[in-house]
Amino acid sequence: MASRWWRWRRGCSWRPAARNPGPGSRRHAGPPGPRAAPDPLAQMPCFSLVKSLTSAFPNVYTVSRFHHMTPAVCCCSKTQSGEKYTDPFKLGWRDLKGLYEDIRKELLISTTELKEMSEYYFDGKGKAFRPIIVVLMARACNIHHNNSRDMQASQRSIALIAEMIHTASLVHDDVIDDASSRRGKHTVNKIWGEKKAVLAGDLILSAASIALARIGNTTVISILTQVIEDLVRGEFLQLGSKENENERFAHYLEKTFKKTASLIANSCKAVSVLGCPDPMVHEIAYQYGKNVGIAFQLIDDVLDFTSCSDQMGKPTSADLKLGLATGPVLFACQQFPEMNAMIMRRFSLPGDVDRARQYVLQSDGVQQTTYLAQRYCHEAVREISKLRPSPERDALIQLSEIVLTRDK
Amino acid sequence: MRLQHLLLRLPGYLGALGPPRRLWRSRSLNSISPVGSWRGQSSRSPAHWNQVVSEAEKIVGYPTSFMSLRCLLSDELSNIAMQVRKLVGTQHPLLTTARGLVHESRHNLQLRGLVVLLISKAAGPSRVNASQNYDTVSGIYSCQRSLAEITELIHTALLVHRGIVNLNELQSSDGPLKDMQFGNKIAILSGDFLLANACNGLALLQNTKVVELLASALMDLVQGVYHENSASAKENYITDDIGISTWKEQTFLSHGALLAKSCQAAMELAKHDAEVQDMAFQYGKHMAMSHKINSDLQPFIKEKTSDCATFHLNSAPVVLHQEFLGRDLWIKQIKEAQEKGRLDYAKLRETIKAGKGVTSAIDLCRYHGNKALEALESFPPSEARSALENIVFAVTRFS
Repeated sequence: MASRWWRWRRGCSWRPAARNPGPGSRRHAGPPGPRAAPDPLAQMPCFSLVKSLTSAFPNVYTVSRFHHMTPAVCCCSKTQSGEKYTDPFKLGWRDLKGLYEDIRKELLISTTELKEMSEYYFDGKGKAFRPIIVVLMARACNIHHNNSRDMQASQRSIALIAEMIHTASLVHDDVIDDASSRRGKHTVNKIWGEKKAVLAGDLILSAASIALARIGNTTVISILTQVIEDLVRGEFLQLGSKENENERFAHYLEKTFKKTASLIANSCKAVSVLGCPDPMVHEIAYQYGKNVGIAFQLIDDVLDFTSCSDQMGKPTSADLKLGLATGPVLFACQQFPEMNAMIMRRFSLPGDVDRARQYVLQSDGVQQTTYLAQRYCHEAVREISKLRPSPERDALIQLSEIVLTRDK
Repeated sequence: MRLQHLLLRLPGYLGALGPPRRLWRSRSLNSISPVGSWRGQSSRSPAHWNQVVSEAEKIVGYPTSFMSLRCLLSDELSNIAMQVRKLVGTQHPLLTTARGLVHESRHNLQLRGLVVLLISKAAGPSRVNASQNYDTVSGIYSCQRSLAEITELIHTALLVHRGIVNLNELQSSDGPLKDMQFGNKIAILSGDFLLANACNGLALLQNTKVVELLASALMDLVQGVYHENSASAKENYITDDIGISTWKEQTFLSHGALLAKSCQAAMELAKHDAEVQDMAFQYGKHMAMSHKINSDLQPFIKEKTSDCATFHLNSAPVVLHQEFLGRDLWIKQIKEAQEKGRLDYAKLRETIKAGKGVTSAIDLCRYHGNKALEALESFPPSEARSALENIVFAVTRFS
């Protein structure tokens, strides 16, 4: 799958300082490399790009022609509902007042220290990105279905559950990565030790499962338990590595889906199931969540290179230090094949991390990854635009832009 | 077949095994009057316990040994076994846990799953379900079999998570830091993988009440494990001042809740009414409690002192001993049993045996055994019910 993507990349002339310029010179809209299978639609490079990428996942959506090809930030957030332009976070937060208090209620246990540890990240300082998407999607689906702006209690529950599952996985990830800080403060494992940190993560997960069961909908339970499995498999994917350059990118995207996008996609799908019986709407919600989720992670990977530690609340070059080759690195490796050896040894030799970082910043890895994120956001917007206009739908459109332009 | 092959090879992967942990075996003990009407089996060897279990397994139709390992050895994640293999030669607890799982499973000791299956069979189909066409094998619905597997998965997941080490408490004798870090990583991921499988299994049961029951059992179990952790390894060997009632609460969380709620869930799956569900819950709870007390009593009842096992200072006989003695006197006894900062377990054991802790622990074990048998009385007589009774007899047997 990704081989097509790589061959197209080599063919593009607007990529600077290519080490291997590829056979012949290429115009911007030229066909892919000579080994590509004959395919009339592949004349549009961006089409084949999206086709290759979206064919990686089982829920393939028929891709129509793309109209935008510029690498500039997309601005298709025209509000069609006629209502006042609002900040999506403000709009979402109207439903999420008391989010963290409610989560803490789910964690009501008698054991003081364990409770304290489990509540540690539910202090109101996280971005609450996932709950916001969930509640906006809930209302957008409800309005689409029967013009009702009311949100069901069960849908709001999903927002809590998504945030809890996310936090549980963060707690475990921090132990696995031996991380010392997150969101500007010490990690649970550094304060209380690894043994207790793992138990705190398990506790949050169990609380999320109880809340999920109480909604009383077996379909929703199936959708969200899939997330838990995906999170674990994503971590396993991260443990292993691929030798082949082409496989690496597919592997990276699969890992990104499982670790980040699956939760968002499936939470969106779950609220749509609760709000609306139409399977097409469920699919729209899922695709929006999936594409935004992948874009979100891609930008996160970019920020690991471009941002500084204070802004992020966690140390940067973190991925390199963990031996992980993310988007910018994989793109940079195209231009600097000497990075291959470093990737394969997971940046374990002294000086590897810094050298890799330099290569990335010298290359167009960051730009390429950002561009890729834009494509995913395009797709997300395309999907969500199929829903009936509403302030929430427009907020979701805007949110996908914010994903691209955020700096932490 | 493939699974059998893998399991046969696993012990080889995991390196040479020391004497296996036999938590569930009853050994030759001093004769004390038995609970209930024991049907005349007077064997004193470990074979006796194994016999109880293998009889039970025939009743439910197949060996329950390999339940939680099945998913660990699936094609996609055979790399878990490979990763654990990398830990051979290190001191990470995960290796011990893995060995224990494999070794015990070869001798049929995954008891929770077995109990769930037996109680499912003992309860039979409910009046509501009698007309329905659920597929049953040996009188047990396939959803109940799934549930038994899920119970074992949850238990094993937390067993694995118990084996995480605190990196800042490591000493040079524990070996290189990176081995421990790697071991922690694999332990967390394996445990999470088992939990994820359990959650998926629960989702497939399509019964939200069952999901809620097992999720709350998981929450209880996590708290129970937390208390276990906190109660061990204190300075000067002095544990928290907990009385027997707190001990019972904490032991319910760490040992009773999972089995109790699982038995109840098995009844729910067959659509039995609240009364039957409660009886199943009570059986599970009391059986698990008496089993835990039995296990705690082993160091104090064995005749062979060559084992010189250490014991937990928060185990039942010790907690009861402390309760009779009062806190101050107990602390004094601990100090007296210490020599240059190291605890002489043999000496402390004698001190405890001389007190009332051991006998009252035996009584408590029998109390719970009797409550378990009482709960069984509401089930119609059957092979499965007898097997459940035999299990109670086996764990309350101290002769």
